Amino acid sequence: MDANTLIFGTIAVLSLAVFFYLGRFRASAKQRERHDRIDWRARRFSLWKVFLYALVLVGGIVLITQFI
Amino acid sequence: MSNHKALEMFGRSGNPTLNTATFANSASGGSPSGIQAVHSDTMTLEGTVNKTGILLALVVLSASFTWRMFFESGGQAGAVMPIAMGGAVVGFVLALVTLFKKQWSGITAPLYAIAEGLFLGAISAIFEMQYQGIVIQAVALTLGTLASLLFLYKTGIIKPTENFRLMIVSATMGIALLYLVNILMNMFGSGGIGFIHSNGLFGIGFSLFVVAIAALNLVLDFDFIEQGAEMNAPKYMEWFGAFSLMVTLIWLYLEILRLLAKLRSR
Repeated sequence: MDANTLIFGTIAVLSLAVFFYLGRFRASAKQRERHDRIDWRARRFSLWKVFLYALVLVGGIVLITQFI
Repeated sequence: MSNHKALEMFGRSGNPTLNTATFANSASGGSPSGIQAVHSDTMTLEGTVNKTGILLALVVLSASFTWRMFFESGGQAGAVMPIAMGGAVVGFVLALVTLFKKQWSGITAPLYAIAEGLFLGAISAIFEMQYQGIVIQAVALTLGTLASLLFLYKTGIIKPTENFRLMIVSATMGIALLYLVNILMNMFGSGGIGFIHSNGLFGIGFSLFVVAIAALNLVLDFDFIEQGAEMNAPKYMEWFGAFSLMVTLIWLYLEILRLLAKLRSR
């Protein structure tokens, strides 16, 4: 087993362990008890707004490519 | 509207389907230690984590099938491409079915994981042949990102808000639009959008941006799962939550793989 596999394999296993351990706990009160939490029952913005922002992003990226 | 009915549509679509009665029945579901209590018929954090583990195992198992097939054929991409492409298409269809029929998640999510695993195994093997050791690096970085963001979310260091959600969903849609245009351009033989695949500074910058957006989608998944468990969503939402995580993880893995390949090819 080479060093690359050993180092990155260890990171992968440790990360999985952290995920399976932390995942079972509820988020901290700081995370849960706030007024600006996402309301997953309703979408607060229209899909048109999302589409418009997405187009602005694509347009921005295309513009940047013209200058580079 | 019953809780079950009300929560049927509860998901990424964000349809306003819950009512106050749903909240009235929402228990905090927490023990003093912070580990969520286990209910038999409602969504729990532990159940979602376990199901994510099952989906991850299925992805690895089916990926190992096409991975072995590729190397046993002497590195012939043609030997695995039909299965890989079939897996990608079937996975895409199953993802759409899962999005619209969340109550079927218990069946469609594992099938999705198997189908996507076939695709990932073949793609990973092709990358590994070109750049030795790249796959374990991509796997480690993907899982490292998952664990780090989960820690940042659980501790409240990253706080997802409605504006955060709007930005991430818009950026994700923008990236999807770019990829769609790229596929269409490829289909008509114009070579696609150059910078998406280039290993120049802009190409790498673009890949970094996509990796960041894919990673931040994980935060939305964590918040969705956390709130689903808090609101006592139906049991099948555990499969849906695990499915959401898998979709984001697979996207993140592919983008990290592509970014590493760009870096190694310089």
